[in-house]
Amino acid sequence: MLTATKILQKTPIFNKMFPVDESDGLEEINSWPALMIVTSFVWLFIAGLLGVAMPLVQRTGMDTHFFYQALTAHGAALAFPFSFQLMMGIGLHRSGGCAGKPIKGWLPAAIYICMNLGAALLSAAILIGGLSTSLVLMFPLPVVGVETGQWSFETLVLGFTGVGLVLYTMIIFYPIQVLKMAFFGDVREDLVLSARTLNDPGMLGMVLAALVLLIMGTPILIIATYVLVALFGIIPLDAVAWATSPVVFEFAFFVFAHNLMEAMALMVISGIYATLPLYLADGTRKLYSDKLANLALWILLLTSFSSFLHHFITLFPNLPATLAYHGNIMSWGTGIGAAISIFTILATCMKHGLRMTPGLMMALMGFTLYILDGASAVVTSNVAWSFQLHGTMWQSGHTMTVILAMSMMWMGVIYHHYPVMTGRVLEDKLGYWSCGLLTFGSTGAALVMLAGGSAGMPRRFADWGQGGWMVYGDAIQFFGLIIGVAFLLYAINLFKAQKIGEATRSAAPAPAE
Amino acid sequence: MLDSLYLSGWGAFGMTIFMFIPFFVVFMYVVVKKSFSDPNPTTGDGNYAKAEWLWLGFVTIVFVGVNIASIGYMPTVATAKAVASGEKITEVNFTAESWSFDIPEVTIEVGKPIRFSGKSNDTVHGFAIYDPHGDILFTMMLMPGMESPTSLIHTFTEPGTYLVRCLEFCGLAHHEMRDEIVVVGSKG
Repeated sequence: MLTATKILQKTPIFNKMFPVDESDGLEEINSWPALMIVTSFVWLFIAGLLGVAMPLVQRTGMDTHFFYQALTAHGAALAFPFSFQLMMGIGLHRSGGCAGKPIKGWLPAAIYICMNLGAALLSAAILIGGLSTSLVLMFPLPVVGVETGQWSFETLVLGFTGVGLVLYTMIIFYPIQVLKMAFFGDVREDLVLSARTLNDPGMLGMVLAALVLLIMGTPILIIATYVLVALFGIIPLDAVAWATSPVVFEFAFFVFAHNLMEAMALMVISGIYATLPLYLADGTRKLYSDKLANLALWILLLTSFSSFLHHFITLFPNLPATLAYHGNIMSWGTGIGAAISIFTILATCMKHGLRMTPGLMMALMGFTLYILDGASAVVTSNVAWSFQLHGTMWQSGHTMTVILAMSMMWMGVIYHHYPVMTGRVLEDKLGYWSCGLLTFGSTGAALVMLAGGSAGMPRRFADWGQGGWMVYGDAIQFFGLIIGVAFLLYAINLFKAQKIGEATRSAAPAPAE
Repeated sequence: MLDSLYLSGWGAFGMTIFMFIPFFVVFMYVVVKKSFSDPNPTTGDGNYAKAEWLWLGFVTIVFVGVNIASIGYMPTVATAKAVASGEKITEVNFTAESWSFDIPEVTIEVGKPIRFSGKSNDTVHGFAIYDPHGDILFTMMLMPGMESPTSLIHTFTEPGTYLVRCLEFCGLAHHEMRDEIVVVGSKG
């Protein structure tokens, strides 16, 4: 029995939500992914509480530093140990089942430990030590915060250690695990659920995403490593002056952070491309066009590399205008990729018909949210609008929406993989309810946050009353609670899942991928 | 009409809705129809090549059109035009430091180009000017360590008191980092 299976079996609640089925011989591709998925939901719970706390702090007039702590911890928990870890779980299971390679040994253990230990250290630095830098660190704020007495040096070291561990997971360990399964080692036929090659859009996106993370993340990883080594006193701080220059750190950070989101988009779109054909009414199991689907992924990949420049448009003229225009054009170029994805998905539905399930519905609704987010992203990447919107709640709406959209798509995909991983099936009615509420809550929250940004509401701002923006805060709270109920129903569904064969109220499970 | 589209955050909101709502309606129509009311495969050859080209052509035209029409409203372009015009530019050189701005007292007149040039002394700050109605005119990012200041030329069209806020998160009193500038009517 694998270590991950033992942890799952011995942990209360986990052992009800994701009991790995050892009888089907697939433990080696199910165990670590299941543990990652279920742990991601723990972080989602923490992130949800912190998310609710933010408007509450403002509404009740509590000390503003609680708002900034909640803001930083909420963003960090939602983006990395929830969303990214959820993606790693499904992604590794899919890769294992497509390539016929086991997920075992030190690498998946390192992925799991570094992600969760890193997130825990970062959360401790934020919630206990008061490190309030927001999700994106805002370098050199972490250092300035120490100099101005906002938090201690020890807190900074603790937080950066956590960030370092998370970065190593996302930039090194996870991509290497995926690339190892895609290109190296012998195929184990007993583990192949659905053999796929790199010509399949469902597999191509996984590999491209791993390469993006590895290549675009390496510069910030080198810088973060240097800084960490200096913070621990191994080398003098003066020796890393080049790395701690705000310009160097910020540009390297956003090259990675932006492409991290694009990599996650590549992964999740490929997940949709892989899952949709399995639910076609005519049983053909084919997209409208694999070539068109792959073209969308390649366009997304190529345009996303340099579209990160749109983060710095308002730095003009320190970001030369020509690079601002380039970031503008490349960002809208990603929209062409999205337009092709829209066409591919709709043409597939039209041509072959659909056998709807709650999982497929959730994945498709996540896709609609992804398009809403994409529209908001390209609009704010336009140079003219960027000068109106940068630094407003619009950007927070964009970030929250992209994370929710991708998480929603993955949660839909989980419906498909759950019977294979656990030998259990989920209930349809609860599934449709959680999907409907999640769609309503997420779309509502996204539109309110975009509207708040349009009205000049600043992001990461502890006094919404200043500009009469509290009404947007209350609406965000309302939709946030609906999102919370939707997630709760989803968790209850996992908790109540019945063994295949025992389930009387649910349809037969979907065919394994 | 283009002014209200490109010179206001609400114009951006309208553009997002313009792109999202039609997509959402069509997407839901197809998904619901092919799932529940008519889940059968579509009869015919199932080749949508013409629709594919029409759709991509439409998207490309909209994307190109929206961005070309925005060129005249880009502050970067307006700055270049103001410099090229040879008109006298009033300089406002300011600094930002947690959690205040140091803005020199300069007479700012309606209709006269003003160059705002700013530097940060400690961490990343923003410099956003809100008009008397509460709408953002423009925002700038100030990154410490830059040799040249972040800079933009703007011509005010309305006298009044304008609020300045930092829009880049800069620490525990970020929300208190604000100031004011006064714009007076043209003196001819």
